[in-house]
Amino acid sequence: MIPTLAGVILLIFFLFKFFGGDPAQILAGQVASQEQIDAIRQQLGLDRPWYVQLGIFVRDIFSFDFGKSWMTREQVSEIFVTRLPATLTITLPILILEVALAIPVAMLVAYHRGTLLDRLVIAICVAAMSISFLVYIIVGQYVFGFELGWFPVQGWSDSFWRNLVTYAPLPILLAALVGLAPQTRLYRSFFLDETKSDYVRTARAKGLSDAAILRRHVLPNAMVPVLTNVALLLPGVFVGSFLLEIFFSIPGLGREVYIAVNRSDYPVIQAFTVYLAVLTMLINLGADVLYRLVDPRIQLT
Amino acid sequence: MSALVTVRDLRVSFRLGRERILEAVRGVHFTVREDATLALVGESGSGKTVSAMSILRLLPENAVVHPASRVEYAGENLLSAPAPRLRALRGREISAVFQEPMSSLNPVLTVGEQVAEVLRLHRRMSARAALERAAELLAEVGIPEPRARLRSYPHELSGGQQQRVMIAMAIANEPKLLIADEPTTALDVTVQRQVLELIARLRERHRMSVLFISHDLGLVGEIADDVVVMRDGVVRESGPVARIFHAPQDAYTKALLACRPRLEARPRRLPVIDDFMRGRTPPAAPLERPPAGAPVMQAKQLRKEFRLRTGLFASKALVAVSDVSFDVARGRTVGLVGESGSGKTTVALLALRLLDPSAGEARLDGADLARLTPGRMLPFRRRIQIVFQNPYASLNPRRTIGRTLVEPMRIHSLGASESERYERARRLLERVGLPADAMQRYPHEFSGGQRQRIAIARALAVEPEVLVCDEPVSALDVSVQATVLNLLLDLQESLGLAYLFISHDLAVVKYMSDEVLVMRAGEVVERGTPEAIFASPQHEYTRKLIAAIPRGYSKSGSEP
Amino acid sequence: MAAVLDIVPENAWLALWRRLQQDRIGAFSLGIVIVYLVMILFAMAGLLAGGWSEEIGVPYANPSFLGERPNLEAALAQRAAQRQGRVPDLTAVDPLAPKYAEWEKRTAELKTGERERSLTLRWGGDRWGRDVLAKAIKGSQVSIAVGVFAALCATFIGTLLGALGGFYGRWVNDSLEWVYNVFTSIPSILLVFSLAAVLRSGVLAHLFASGIWTVVIILAVTGWTGMYRLVRAEYMKHRSREYVLAAQAIGASAASRMFVHILPNVSHVVLVQLSLLVVAFIKVEVILSFLGLGVPVDMVSWGTMLGEAQTELVIGKWWQLAAATVFMAIFLTAFSMLTDSLRDALDPKLR
Repeated sequence: MIPTLAGVILLIFFLFKFFGGDPAQILAGQVASQEQIDAIRQQLGLDRPWYVQLGIFVRDIFSFDFGKSWMTREQVSEIFVTRLPATLTITLPILILEVALAIPVAMLVAYHRGTLLDRLVIAICVAAMSISFLVYIIVGQYVFGFELGWFPVQGWSDSFWRNLVTYAPLPILLAALVGLAPQTRLYRSFFLDETKSDYVRTARAKGLSDAAILRRHVLPNAMVPVLTNVALLLPGVFVGSFLLEIFFSIPGLGREVYIAVNRSDYPVIQAFTVYLAVLTMLINLGADVLYRLVDPRIQLT
Repeated sequence: MSALVTVRDLRVSFRLGRERILEAVRGVHFTVREDATLALVGESGSGKTVSAMSILRLLPENAVVHPASRVEYAGENLLSAPAPRLRALRGREISAVFQEPMSSLNPVLTVGEQVAEVLRLHRRMSARAALERAAELLAEVGIPEPRARLRSYPHELSGGQQQRVMIAMAIANEPKLLIADEPTTALDVTVQRQVLELIARLRERHRMSVLFISHDLGLVGEIADDVVVMRDGVVRESGPVARIFHAPQDAYTKALLACRPRLEARPRRLPVIDDFMRGRTPPAAPLERPPAGAPVMQAKQLRKEFRLRTGLFASKALVAVSDVSFDVARGRTVGLVGESGSGKTTVALLALRLLDPSAGEARLDGADLARLTPGRMLPFRRRIQIVFQNPYASLNPRRTIGRTLVEPMRIHSLGASESERYERARRLLERVGLPADAMQRYPHEFSGGQRQRIAIARALAVEPEVLVCDEPVSALDVSVQATVLNLLLDLQESLGLAYLFISHDLAVVKYMSDEVLVMRAGEVVERGTPEAIFASPQHEYTRKLIAAIPRGYSKSGSEP
Repeated sequence: MAAVLDIVPENAWLALWRRLQQDRIGAFSLGIVIVYLVMILFAMAGLLAGGWSEEIGVPYANPSFLGERPNLEAALAQRAAQRQGRVPDLTAVDPLAPKYAEWEKRTAELKTGERERSLTLRWGGDRWGRDVLAKAIKGSQVSIAVGVFAALCATFIGTLLGALGGFYGRWVNDSLEWVYNVFTSIPSILLVFSLAAVLRSGVLAHLFASGIWTVVIILAVTGWTGMYRLVRAEYMKHRSREYVLAAQAIGASAASRMFVHILPNVSHVVLVQLSLLVVAFIKVEVILSFLGLGVPVDMVSWGTMLGEAQTELVIGKWWQLAAATVFMAIFLTAFSMLTDSLRDALDPKLR
């Protein structure tokens, strides 16, 4: 994890250092004088050698002090902490709904593999996946928020429960339904892979019914790749919903990064990237522990 | 004794794609008697497994059973029995054990859960009682500390123990019939014997019937009461074991009995299946060994360690081979015998420097290969070649045979022109007994035996002096093994090749070799001439290996 | 039992062709993909939708199949255009006044004669009265080109690194794994955003000011990791296969073993993954272009069309949204089905 973190820091630092252009120029704007630019350069430490700058960058990371946003003058760490709750309020329910719905649906179609139902569900999944997420949001927001008025078109409040009950349901439902198609397809293939195993033949030779085989033998084995997949999706809970946040004006991390990109607000982008990379690594460590629970063959070292 | 299961006119085919249909079993009859063992014997593609699995209807999804086929069990046709009835029979009255114990057990459930499941399912036992009974069953199949093992997962057991667990599961409900599909094939030879004896003992004790499926007639002779010999989806011959062994009627059965190398005789060439099918008399003259030449290949105290990474900086050494030495002379064969994990394949790779040794020397004509730079290694590559075990994996499936044969000549600039190289390749194919039109074809169009001939031709393309044969016949059917062994002997005689011959099969090594090295856990435990080793094995392990060789049927030998 | 091969035998491509012919869904999907490709070739040659940027209809012209229904916005927009002629004359006080004349002259040169704007268009018009159908065709060209080029680049990177890491193992593998871990521990959308920020305003900005290459590079740099992992796993499996050892025994060099012997045997894995990448990249391109981080403003892609569609939908102009969605959905569905058929045809376990 430490070498990886070092790599992430180096990558982000050099990406912005060597390809990012002159921050002073960006900050000062098009019509700044040379003196103004020089002042900014000095203020940001850009006149020092690159390794000193790298040192400052590393120090900033470990002291959780990334300075201020170039645009809003807000503390970057402050932005991160205040935007996180809104993001998690919608991403965690999405992930839970997706997985909780996809597993039974996938089991059902795997059980009826080769039948009309199976082929129909898969065809619907493929077709549904071929439509851009944008379309679902645009149309969903228009139909359910604008036309039918079942949900507020957009908005957010300071109260967690109010958000969860009023503002979050539409984006959550849209995303969960969209996520259901690829998950179902993927999980179905996990189940089908397992049904081809020799131990399934053993279970049949024991006299178990197909449903019992699926539940008692196939499901526990299929949970291994399912868990891998969830571990892969988990880091997405932090910024994965940026489109929803933009459309529904939810003050979350994803929207903040998007705004920062549009304003070339480098400190925000850099800090978010490094912190989210660290969170991702921590999640992966946690997932490794979970694997032990579903797969006895994996030894923890 | 009366019939327990009767299979009549069984026809099974497989749908392969929209139009293609493969007829795997074409009208098979056999009867399993009560309290007796019936062996289904045949080579790959004979339809023996499909026939046996039809009894329980445990066939792949694309299998189609002909409606006129019948499997009669207690007056009932199992092929038309409704699914619930079938499920009630499976695991209770008829149970099964399969070839690969590792994959046949569910990897994420404990051994106890898996054994108990079959008891709870058919006997409505409580979880506690079922586990209790499972422990007794594990004890019965000879698993040490059965109570502790209940909580083990399959991967924590050895292959032999896994198969014992499978057997415990199969006998849990005192079935009337146990179907054992090559139950010992995936196991090491010494373990094979133990599992075989276990099945025989359990059959006796529980007075059940066993349907034993095997490719090995010798093995079958030891435990079967009746034998059915199958080939290409039909029954060639069936009858009591004594008659099959002493008075075989069918040419194919005769061939199967004759073409395995025997421990007591060393004929000049092994009889092959064609001899019998065409009614020729196989040659009987004893093998004459070519005079020994100067040693070309020498291994001196070869050692190989593999580093297993256990942490970021930590690793532990795994000794695969230690202190192995031998000399191979021109025109002679050194045999290396051992079970899986004995390090014999590692020795082969070290001999060719496909692996670098950790210590010791592999010398070719005096030069230590491990000390050569890649550039200086190239001319030596020409002089030592290898034939691998699996002819399905050793030929590049994306290349024509012609390209495969010409590539080595091109690398070593043999032959003046491309057309001359192709001409040489054609002659090589002829030499190993394949038609010249094989040049334009791809490996998958050939059978296993033919592919092994192609692999031999590729090795010969660079005119080597030493040929390392790593289990060259182990993946082949018995009837094909003899033809490949004969080819290797022919080539050695005419080209004066030196062989390093590696096999787990003691009988084959004994037939081929002038000197035998017995390996276990990376070390040579015994060496000597084959005659000496077999006449008076010194090491305990060698004795065990020799005892494990199937001896076929003899009047007193049907029960161990 | 017939021996089960886990390597695709040669003639795999021929066998593939035969299987696709048997597989009706696969063949149908292939047909649709070919139609799209022909359409794109025509569009690239300028034979089709060359004039997508011309304002040939009234703003928000109705689709012809709706007929000339009352179109309030179109009427308003037309009236506003007419009113422009009667803007109060500020020439005396406006410092930019001389420029206006110049600009107007240039506009006049560009618009060689104001054409009669039609009230309806085949699939309606957008805000400026451009033909939505032409835009959708041109947008298909751009979106698919981005997807395909990005997938090819990512495949090249992933296959090369995967082959090196899987074949050599040891420190080569360790260092490539490190790079892989670095790239995958950054949430991909953040990597995309970081690259977009840097490429838009950084030192390379002028290099990629126009064209699709910014998006292609962003997608390739962030998307190679999956391919790398797959190819690496395949190479680790194959490098100790007997046919590779046999090649080493006859003296074939490492490069020859890697790319002449092994690569054709893993090419089916690469091909399937490549098709999956095309689909994934097209979807990401659409989102990036929607956000304004994708193709430049003077180009049209499915994403930029959806970007305009959001505001149009609120005033009831749904046809641009529908056009982009339908064009995209048909292509991606067909392409995904084709990929599935491909996978089935090439999967050795299923033969």
